[in-house]
Amino acid sequence: MLFLQLLLQGIQTGALYALTAAGFALIFGATRIFHFAHGTSFTLAGYAFLFCWNGGLPGWIGTLAGIAVAMLFGLAMERLVYRPIQRHEGSFFTVFVAAFGVAVVVQNLVGMVAGRGFASVDTRLSLATEVLPDVFLAPIFWIAIAVAVVLFAALSAFLTRTHAGVALRALAQNPDLLRAYGLSSNRLSMLAFAVGSAMAAPAAILTAMTTGLNEAIGHHVMLISMAATIVGGVGSLRGAALAGLMLGVAESVALQFVDTQWAEAVSFLVLFAFIIFRPSGFFGVAQTR
Amino acid sequence: MSGPQIARRALMGTALAAPFIRPAAAQGGDPYVIGTLFPMSGPNGEYGTLFTSGAALAIEHAAQDRMLRRPMRIQAEDTQALPQQGVIGMTKLVNVDKAHYVLVGFTAVSKAVAPVGDRAKTIMVNGGAVGPDLAGLSPYFWNVIPLAHLETQAFLPFLMQRNLKRIALVYVDDPLGDAILGLLRTELPKTGGELAGTFSVPRTAQQFGPVAARVRQVRADAVYVASFGAQQAQIIKGLRDNGIRQPIVGYSALSIASVTALPEAEGVIFTSQKFDYTGGSEITRRFATDFKAKHGSEPGAYNANYYNAVRLFALLAKDLEAQNTEVNGDSLRATLLRVREFDLVGGKGRFDDQGNMSADIQVNEIRGGRVVPIA
Amino acid sequence: MIAYAANLATIVAIFGILAATLNFVVGFAGIFSVAHAVFFGLGAYAGAQVALHIVPDALLACVVAAVVAGGLSLCLALPALRVRGEYFVAASLGLQMMATTLFSEAKAFTGGIGGLVAIPRPTLFGMEVSVLPLALVALALILFATALLQRGAFGRTLQALRDAESAAEALGKNVAAAKTLAMLFACAGAGIAGALFALHLSFVNVESFTMDQSVLVMAMVIIGGTGTLWGPVIGAIILLSLPAGLAFVPFIPATEVGAVQQIIYGLAMTLLMIFRPAGLVGDLSKGRATA
Repeated sequence: MLFLQLLLQGIQTGALYALTAAGFALIFGATRIFHFAHGTSFTLAGYAFLFCWNGGLPGWIGTLAGIAVAMLFGLAMERLVYRPIQRHEGSFFTVFVAAFGVAVVVQNLVGMVAGRGFASVDTRLSLATEVLPDVFLAPIFWIAIAVAVVLFAALSAFLTRTHAGVALRALAQNPDLLRAYGLSSNRLSMLAFAVGSAMAAPAAILTAMTTGLNEAIGHHVMLISMAATIVGGVGSLRGAALAGLMLGVAESVALQFVDTQWAEAVSFLVLFAFIIFRPSGFFGVAQTR
Repeated sequence: MSGPQIARRALMGTALAAPFIRPAAAQGGDPYVIGTLFPMSGPNGEYGTLFTSGAALAIEHAAQDRMLRRPMRIQAEDTQALPQQGVIGMTKLVNVDKAHYVLVGFTAVSKAVAPVGDRAKTIMVNGGAVGPDLAGLSPYFWNVIPLAHLETQAFLPFLMQRNLKRIALVYVDDPLGDAILGLLRTELPKTGGELAGTFSVPRTAQQFGPVAARVRQVRADAVYVASFGAQQAQIIKGLRDNGIRQPIVGYSALSIASVTALPEAEGVIFTSQKFDYTGGSEITRRFATDFKAKHGSEPGAYNANYYNAVRLFALLAKDLEAQNTEVNGDSLRATLLRVREFDLVGGKGRFDDQGNMSADIQVNEIRGGRVVPIA
Repeated sequence: MIAYAANLATIVAIFGILAATLNFVVGFAGIFSVAHAVFFGLGAYAGAQVALHIVPDALLACVVAAVVAGGLSLCLALPALRVRGEYFVAASLGLQMMATTLFSEAKAFTGGIGGLVAIPRPTLFGMEVSVLPLALVALALILFATALLQRGAFGRTLQALRDAESAAEALGKNVAAAKTLAMLFACAGAGIAGALFALHLSFVNVESFTMDQSVLVMAMVIIGGTGTLWGPVIGAIILLSLPAGLAFVPFIPATEVGAVQQIIYGLAMTLLMIFRPAGLVGDLSKGRATA
């Protein structure tokens, strides 16, 4: 039964990883910007929800606030940090360092304003009950899965059915061609940042209810998203989402076999193995060398 | 991952500038420098605030009472509870600020800085960490807090009496966690208990659902949590959310607001040093009243310990001033060993040959967000 | 006071070595490693073990550290041969994260989170020495080697494969060997820095070898200017002394000092990247640095 329990817990965690990773993959795929401050969107969204909740506002207002804050932050990063750097044709790593600097700033600001350390949303939703002998599930398990499924359905509809969505996918494949057709890659890149960052908000809100937040949480989220994007294959949203799910499950199910302190290393072992043995990821186009 | 924590490097930088800002070593009328090596930022910043407020109140009281000819001032170095920053901060306190007395906390940090202080013969006083190997680290390293072995010794009979015999341990694999693991492993069987399972978690782990699933498997009577800081709250919530209904127990690090304020922490039982703020001595009452007036909340064990640490310095230095002896590590130590017993918050504090204070232990329970002594 | 200034100069020199060696792979070979702290750590542990259990001879500690770190550089050379760009960064991040866990768990070698304490003072030919001259000599040697390699055939091969790997390969350059050798040199250098660090602080634990440290060293290289000789050293000096100005800020509440330092620090990183993306020493007119 331990296995089933760990698997279910892994799916719950993995669903949240998948959402965040898909957001990162969308941004990276469309703009080729390694948005290292994606985790910061997550942190900000989580704390925005927390503030609304503690202020006695209904959950849906908090959710909207979380999404809005994440989107605004993503857009601000695109306009104020990434675009000026790319004007100089700054290298990939210049972007990385700049984003890392922003992550440090926001982390400490959040710590000063919201208090350092642990904060969580007090709700019964995260309280697990025994559904099968020795298998405990919380209502939030079903919520996480439902949210993930609905959002992915909505995202794929957006990317395949709407004009903007199709253009985004085209941007990922051939930005020059897109420009030739008279579409503004600038506006599309902002769209990618808005949608991608918003994807982090639901996961952040659910995390605030389950494991709780701290000002440094974005860091871990970021690493997982990046790992999932690579493992899934760059450019593939489906791949990133599946890989996120898989990393969550791996981290949890690993406890069946190894001692508890190794759980975190498992995700990165998977990542490392993928890069060495299958660098194209699940669905990606081979990009070795 | 602990998140971007660049202050350790930042500290080096601060230190780099320091010689140019505050030249010249301490002179006649200069204040006594009380160095503090506390986490002031990062996930354990909460402790630094607690520790500092206790020490600051003691300085205020000493000034009001005109205990010393020279004033005291705090020189804070942020350690983020990390040993490397501790060593860097301690080197600065010793070499640049010429600290007379350094307050430390956290087991790993204390162990790392002890050799630096030992070499410089600077007194270091711990009022927060409880790793048993902190006893006798150096002749210049004192403890004004009963160490973990005293806590567990007092705690195990209580657990047995409550019929909590099979204990599962969730611990962080650092010097303190190791110490508690070792104590439970050897001491539990002696009192008729049993260590049902041990679960090491990384210091930065956030997900405790899967750990809870493993803990459930061992069918313990109680779960002992040996972590510190904000992670404790996360562990407690993770365990409670995921079907652990057994009592959760622990040690004095649990007495911080982020734990006591957590709804899931209701009923958590832990040990701490014994303080009686209402019926106790004049010193204790004054401390409790003034602390409450200043901070609007009841003082906790940590506030009191660091108050005591600074008060101890004031008492020792007063003695030395009366004899016109220079205040340094050796003279402070000689005086401590000569006097041995001091009037401190919580009653008489008695020190042994190594400079460890013994004190009574009480068992507390978190009830309605407050810490209530139950035994 | 002088002891204290020396202490800081030592740390700057050690980080100068780290930044200079990382610059060698980043700036000349185009390999963006975020796992430099792993090799720094390996060297530190190896050096500390030598000092604790054999003799506290600085030279021996440095040699052993260089061998251990250089030998294990294959862990990173392997992905470097397979992938480039973001993929390699991710691989090195993965290695960094695994190494952090390993460092915390392999207690026999690393002492776990508690670390290795009471590492004896270093000696050289039986005489006790301070680490500062050793670190300065090591830094000078590494800069000298870098300058030589940069001008020599090896350096040109590396730069060729940084700018156009397939072309270099087509011209008959042995890409795999060149990359592996570059990694070996850089990681061995990081190992030496590690050994000096351990001897200097007489204490090491895993918290000095985390991803934050790797990113910090990377930031030194980028801020100073990739592919330049002096850029990384200047980056190290700036990043270690930048927050010094904060000491002049009149009043920050004690509980916020750490946070304020980090905020200014992070801001400086971001602003520098926006306004001087090629680094302080790097030549802007040449446009982008690499990658």
